[in-house]
Amino acid sequence: MREESKWEPRLLGFLCRWCSYAGADLAGTSRKKYPPNLRIIRVPCSGRVDALFILKALQQGFDGVLVSGCHPGECHYQVGNYHARRRLAIIKKFLEYLGVAPQRIQAAWVSASEGGKFAEVANEITEELREVGPNKLFTDER
Amino acid sequence: MKDRSVEQKLRGEAGELLVAGKVDYIVGFERGSLKFTTTPLITKDGNDINRLVINPFITSNLAKFLMELKGRVGIVAKGCDSRSIVSLIQDNKVIRENLVILGVPCSGIISLHKLEKLAARDSEEIRDITREDDRVIVNIGGEDRELPAAEVLFDSCLACEFPTPKEYDILLGEPRAATISQNAWKNVKKLEALPPEERWYFWEKEFSRCTRCYACRNSCPICFCQQCFVEETEPQWIASVPRWQENFIFQIIRNIHLAGRCTDCGACERACPANIPLRSLTRKMYDIVDDLYQFKAGTDKGLAPLMAHYENTDPGDFIR
Repeated sequence: MREESKWEPRLLGFLCRWCSYAGADLAGTSRKKYPPNLRIIRVPCSGRVDALFILKALQQGFDGVLVSGCHPGECHYQVGNYHARRRLAIIKKFLEYLGVAPQRIQAAWVSASEGGKFAEVANEITEELREVGPNKLFTDER
Repeated sequence: MKDRSVEQKLRGEAGELLVAGKVDYIVGFERGSLKFTTTPLITKDGNDINRLVINPFITSNLAKFLMELKGRVGIVAKGCDSRSIVSLIQDNKVIRENLVILGVPCSGIISLHKLEKLAARDSEEIRDITREDDRVIVNIGGEDRELPAAEVLFDSCLACEFPTPKEYDILLGEPRAATISQNAWKNVKKLEALPPEERWYFWEKEFSRCTRCYACRNSCPICFCQQCFVEETEPQWIASVPRWQENFIFQIIRNIHLAGRCTDCGACERACPANIPLRSLTRKMYDIVDDLYQFKAGTDKGLAPLMAHYENTDPGDFIR
């Protein structure tokens, strides 16, 4: 077990391959600094992200989940991000009602040219989750 | 529901439909094996028509059976059932033209459990139960006792916005206006007043009792996936052991899948053998959907299903 003082938030990001994933790449190639707390899974579209992915991540101990896709109107598949927006809005509100800190569910629109914004988002959410503290939602000892 | 005349009318109409060959099946309610209870009746036989009943105990949501029946179906529908039917039409799961909806304006379904508790009597000891406006009259050993209807109706009925079916071909009885009682939100409000950790802990406790019997799913008219994600093995989304974590995830996802389709009819809560307050989940989801998208499930068969649709103006202020 980690010691409390050394605890670092672990975040899982689902990034759209057409924009946010490329945005993350750009952040790297332009040497923007962002924390290593965010682990990335590439998805075809933010609309691919199922509520199950989010809950599974939380169950397996991730402290927060980021879903990031193209700006409205810029989806490679025309409308995937609009569907994602509806789904995420509902998931976020519902989980908040159940007792999940709202900061644990994060969403962002990051285009392929926004390396700087990606680094910023990663920084911000890492800091927010550091404040919220470790995810003990699905543990048995509490 | 003034039941005798409605019942007679139903039997007449249903019989005619069957005899004239306008429908292949009639789906309705008949007397159950226990006193005061009812059970679904699905029949092709005109002789069964006299078994049909309408009373304040017709609990099941009959829309559940529509997808299993081939051909044309005449179905008895209360307000909530009719909304589930509309929801199924929106999802292209049933075809409107194949249905003859026998709408029943509903004044609320009596929860025997609540009534027994309030009257401090087992239903076997009760001679008769009659509904009169805002009172329920219980006859125990020849003596009448009056109980306030709001105390013995199911919570889901207290929040009912559409007691008169939204969609029907034949309306049995007079349309009724909604009488909504804030009591219906009592459990949701109680939970919302708690700090987040305690809310989560509440559900942890509740779902520790769940045995994952899937009665909720199986009684739900719009839980129609041929294969539910909980039974998938590649990937196996949740373990088959009924630990509270898995039980809770099952129910969270079930509610998310039902967003915009669940009418908060309460069938799942009534079916739950562990008495888990599932309506505290469905009610909240219903309100979230209504708040965000001004969308009420099963009220307009012409609308696209909520989650298969989007608007450019959908709220997105939570997105960075």
